[in-house]
Amino acid sequence: MEGVFYNRFERHAHGEGLKGQSTHYCSGCGHGLVHKYLAEAVDELGVQDRTIAISPVGCSVFMYYYLDVGNSQAAHGRAPAVALGHKMANPQSIVISYQGDGDLASIGLAEIIQAAQMGVPMTIIFVNNAIYGMTGGQMAPTTLMEQQTTTTPTGRDRLTGEPMRMAETIGQLNGPVYVERVALYDNKQRVRTQKAIKKALRMQVENRGLGFVEVLSECPTHLHMSPSDAEQWVKDEMVPIFPLGVKKDVETEPWFQLDPPNFEPADVATVIGSSTESNGRGTEPFPAHIDPEDVSIKFAGAGGDGAQTIAMLTTRTAINAGYDSTHIPSYGPESRGGTSYADVHIATTEVLSPASPKPHVLVVFNPQSLEKFGPTVRDGGVILYDSTVIVEPPEMDPGIRAYGIPFTQIAVDLGKAMVKNTVALGATVAATQIFPVERFVETMEDALKDRCALLPINREAFNRGVEAFSDLEQTQ
Amino acid sequence: MVTTKTDKKARPKPFLFPQYCKACGRCIEACPKDCIHVGSKIDPSSGLTPVEVDLERCNGCGLCIDACPEPYGLMPAPGDIEDMSLMDPAQIFGPRQTTAPTPEPIPDVMVPLPELEPMVLKGTHAAAVGAILAGCRHIFGYPITPSTEGAELMAKLLPQLDGVFVQAVSEVATVNIMYGCGGAGLRCATFTSSPGFSLMLEGISYMIGAELPGVFFNIMRGGPGLGNIGPEQSDIKLVCRGLGHGNTHAIVLAPSTPQEMLDLTMSAFDLSFQYRNPVVIAADGYLGQMTGRVELPKTLTKPGVPEWAVHGDREHRGNLITSIYIIEADLEIHNEKILAKYDRMIDNEQRADCFKCDDAEWVVVACNTPARMAKGAVQELRDQGIKAGLFRPITLWPFPIRLLTPALARAKGMVVVEAGPGQLEDEVRLALSHADIRDAPPISHVRRYGGVLPQQQEIVDKVRALVEE
Repeated sequence: MEGVFYNRFERHAHGEGLKGQSTHYCSGCGHGLVHKYLAEAVDELGVQDRTIAISPVGCSVFMYYYLDVGNSQAAHGRAPAVALGHKMANPQSIVISYQGDGDLASIGLAEIIQAAQMGVPMTIIFVNNAIYGMTGGQMAPTTLMEQQTTTTPTGRDRLTGEPMRMAETIGQLNGPVYVERVALYDNKQRVRTQKAIKKALRMQVENRGLGFVEVLSECPTHLHMSPSDAEQWVKDEMVPIFPLGVKKDVETEPWFQLDPPNFEPADVATVIGSSTESNGRGTEPFPAHIDPEDVSIKFAGAGGDGAQTIAMLTTRTAINAGYDSTHIPSYGPESRGGTSYADVHIATTEVLSPASPKPHVLVVFNPQSLEKFGPTVRDGGVILYDSTVIVEPPEMDPGIRAYGIPFTQIAVDLGKAMVKNTVALGATVAATQIFPVERFVETMEDALKDRCALLPINREAFNRGVEAFSDLEQTQ
Repeated sequence: MVTTKTDKKARPKPFLFPQYCKACGRCIEACPKDCIHVGSKIDPSSGLTPVEVDLERCNGCGLCIDACPEPYGLMPAPGDIEDMSLMDPAQIFGPRQTTAPTPEPIPDVMVPLPELEPMVLKGTHAAAVGAILAGCRHIFGYPITPSTEGAELMAKLLPQLDGVFVQAVSEVATVNIMYGCGGAGLRCATFTSSPGFSLMLEGISYMIGAELPGVFFNIMRGGPGLGNIGPEQSDIKLVCRGLGHGNTHAIVLAPSTPQEMLDLTMSAFDLSFQYRNPVVIAADGYLGQMTGRVELPKTLTKPGVPEWAVHGDREHRGNLITSIYIIEADLEIHNEKILAKYDRMIDNEQRADCFKCDDAEWVVVACNTPARMAKGAVQELRDQGIKAGLFRPITLWPFPIRLLTPALARAKGMVVVEAGPGQLEDEVRLALSHADIRDAPPISHVRRYGGVLPQQQEIVDKVRALVEE
């Protein structure tokens, strides 16, 4: 045999008996016709090898029994998401998401709307028969008003809402290029359906965009009608609610193209921001005057004070100096205004516990933080606080060296209040002698290499912090 | 040659194998020449009453063929066969289901990297860099704190490597986009956190059922419900025992440093493809945010395409990705296959790190960030002359019981330390029970939850209290 149907439906009950050549659909069901028109379109456009058909959940769950294309079977409602995954993985593939009304218009609404609005070239075939088939005749989102189903035994009423008009809904989105509603009940409608499916597929093959075809279809079994009465019912009852025709058809140039992914080692190294050049590691002595093997620092303030940034600079400097170091932030859900503190550890070989419940060094930007963390600082430790906002510091343990430096005022004098954290870092480095000043400046230069404009003011702020500490120490 | 296609110009007359006719009658209405009629004879093989076709007046318009919903119902009659109805269908339809070739795997290639200096990365970023080096160029996701920085970094970096980041409409969509991308045979991943992971469970079950690879970074946070964004090991139960419906398991890796976030990520992709199964990286919110020193590997992976993929090309056209096996016996066989795969994971993939366990009398069990507090505590206890050790499971599933057993040789007690109310301890107890270890030392614990981590001092105090008992 030739064509886009398998020679034998081996997946249909192992192809035994009649099932090897006949579908599982009931007599009079529309799915077989839609499959057939889809197969013809795939064949006529010459894309059988590239095609991936996504079978949904519903009566057409077994579409993969029949179509001799790549087949992927999706969870209920998720066919457009699965289709998107295939399309992104291989942009050359021709992806068809085939869905029923429960699948597309109820459980999978979010997925179809996103896929449609993205407008990535894919083909959506939506078979609307106004009822749930596979689960046995329950109300579908497209069930008509007063239509009896097993879950609307007295007929669909106001409380269950009105039928969803999906072609119109999809048609008013920006993403799709072509949306049409068609039917199967006579020769004329069937020809239109054949053409619509082929056009929707062609829109994808030509990389123009997403095509959506809603097919009004018959389910004689659950309508409890003969096949010909079901055709009449679609024509008389469904069409007035679901008007046939083109809902959207826009001229678009081919646009969709994704280049093959790049695995070149040099490009990868650049993109991840790694370097073959040494940052001068292992050239500084460990700050053993603070602790012989593990120095613990806490930076604390309100969100937006910049505690995290200087904690990160400290960690990077320590790692560049040849040691293990960690930084962990903790802040409220708001990136500004909440409490924000950062714990830093610097260890000779390995940081064990990364938290700083008992820091050697505490740097604080507001009175609350000083009150909260001041008492946790170890005996012999150092506290630096912003004396612009902490005018009356609480009494501190005599074993602790505490320095009030006007971080904010210095930063404001420099014309940029934001750099108060850099002022604080300069003061901290000067007060603790943790690593040489120039190592911090190097880290800062590296961190700001993409934002060079910020470098001069930060360098100045850092130096002013260093000076402010020296001045303070001389006066004390 | 028989064909299902209608060549409009050739105007062939229709031919019907009566056994494939379901008697819907669409062809009867379609025919303008009134050639087709409701049948009167029951077909013995189908039990239905096929239509009867009288071709005397037929002009070969083909409308009946286009109206027949069955692929092998009304077909264009072949010109060169006198009476097809006398032929054996098996002969007509051919021996194979498809003409598509049998696909061969395209293997991964390990490409050497230049000698690169260590980087300073936060946990989520280390995972993202690990994914890039592992050959992942497809990340899908939905923003959720505290995992989002990983996705944000990927959104920035992947386009520079002609990769793809798609922000999905939800976590439900995310996992299904992964189903498609993994189904196409490519390496893909997502960054999420506990509430988002809950939403992905359905899809993970489908991926396991359909045997699809994919890597899930779950940066666990405080629960239940919306909980908070603090660190909690709140999903150990989910990742070890609750990956959606059905008989599901996945290898679960629990890093404890930014370095491991990178290293285990690279392993995760390999394991995911080796077993055709999702792999979960279970980290906590603290680790996701923690910055540290990260050494880079010597090679990167340029992934191939596995032979089973539905890739959208001729080579792979015969393939199918599915988790439905409608015949019970078939699903039983499929489950046996999956269960055998779990057994192989249990046999081959148990991983743990032991710190000073050789002579340990007090074995602390902890993973993720609490393992670092525990390591500090073990060091402190050793400094105090107490023989403590740390057993750190790296695979939470399969639980590394084979490595725990020797670590318990001299143990007087175990202390399970976790940021959660006992989910890890349940895994320890279950593993001991499955291994039929009846003489395990008593288990006690240090537990914090709600986004609070157990601290080193609490662990030290607990062990000291046990020693003094």
